[in-house]
Amino acid sequence: MTFWAVLLASGIGTYLTRSLPLAVTLRRTAPAGLRRYLDALPIAIIAALAGAGIAVPDGQPTGGAEVLAALVTLAVAAWRRNLLLAVIAGVAAVAALRAAGL
Amino acid sequence: MTPGRAAVAEGWPVFITALVVGITFGLTARQSGLGVLETSAASIIVFAGAAQFVMVDLLRTGAPAPLIVLTVLLLNARHVLMAAAIRPFLATAPLVQRLGLAYVLTDEAFAMGIGHFRRGHRDLTYYSVFGALLWCFWNAGTLLGAIFGADVEDPQRYGIDFAITAVFIAIVVIGVRHRTDAIVAIAAVLVAAVLRLAGASAVAVVVAGALAPLVAFALREDRR
Repeated sequence: MTFWAVLLASGIGTYLTRSLPLAVTLRRTAPAGLRRYLDALPIAIIAALAGAGIAVPDGQPTGGAEVLAALVTLAVAAWRRNLLLAVIAGVAAVAALRAAGL
Repeated sequence: MTPGRAAVAEGWPVFITALVVGITFGLTARQSGLGVLETSAASIIVFAGAAQFVMVDLLRTGAPAPLIVLTVLLLNARHVLMAAAIRPFLATAPLVQRLGLAYVLTDEAFAMGIGHFRRGHRDLTYYSVFGALLWCFWNAGTLLGAIFGADVEDPQRYGIDFAITAVFIAIVVIGVRHRTDAIVAIAAVLVAAVLRLAGASAVAVVVAGALAPLVAFALREDRR
C-alpha cells in the first residue's frame, strides 16, 4: 500500500513540475536567488545519492572497492562523455575489485 | 529530412542508453523486492530515471513515505525551469497538446528539443517524436529488466548493485557545466557520505542535496 501511495504522489508531483509552467502564465520570473538554488539542486541531489551509495553500499560501510570503482566511473565519464560506457566500466571495476577481495 | 526522421537520426544513441538504463532499473527494482507490475508502473507513472532509482533505493532502505516523495520532488524541481524555458516554443499549441508534451518532458527531451528549436525550427514534431520514442525505449527496457531481473542470482558478484551509483556518478560528471557545479557536487558527495557513514540512512541524501547548492551562493557572492 505504501508503495502505491508513494508512486502516485511522486508521479502526480513530477507531472506538476513538468506541466504547470506550460499550463499557467507566470506574471513574474522567479527571483534570481531561487533560480540559482534550483539550478544547482539537481546536480547536488544526484551527487548526494552517489556519495551515499559509495560510502555505504547495501547497508555495510565500503571496503574500498566502491571508492575505486567510483573513480573509474568518473574517469570514463569525463573522458568519453558517455553514460552507458561509464556505467559499464564502473560495474566491471566493482565486480573485479570485489573478486580481488576488497 | 523531415523533423520526425531527424529526431530518430539524432536521437538513437539516447534511445539505446534509455533502453539499457531502463533494463538496469527494471532489474534493480526487482532485486529490491518490487513486482513486475509495480516496476513497470513506476516507469509509466513517474517516467523520470534518476527519481525512480532514488524512489526504489529509499523504499528498499525503509525510508518514511513523505521523505521519499519529498526527495523525488526536490530532484524533479528542475523540470519547472525546463518547462519554463521551452514554453515559448510550445506556446502556439492548444492547452491539451501542451499537457501531453509536458508528460514526456525529460532532461533528454529538453536538451534535444531546445537544440532543435535553437536551430530555427518551429515544428513540434521533432520534440513530440523524440519524447514519445524515449518513453517507449525506457518502458520497454524497464519491462525487460523487470521480467528477467529476478532470475539474476547474487547480483553483488557481478557488481550490478553498483549500477545505480555508477549512473548517478556519470550523470553528475557529464552534467557539470562549470567550476561551481563541480564544487557543489563534491560538497554533496562528501556530506552525504559522512552522514551515511554516521548512520543516517534516508535523510542523508535530502540533507546533503538541499544544503550543497548553498555553496553556489557563497562562491558566486565572493566573486562580485
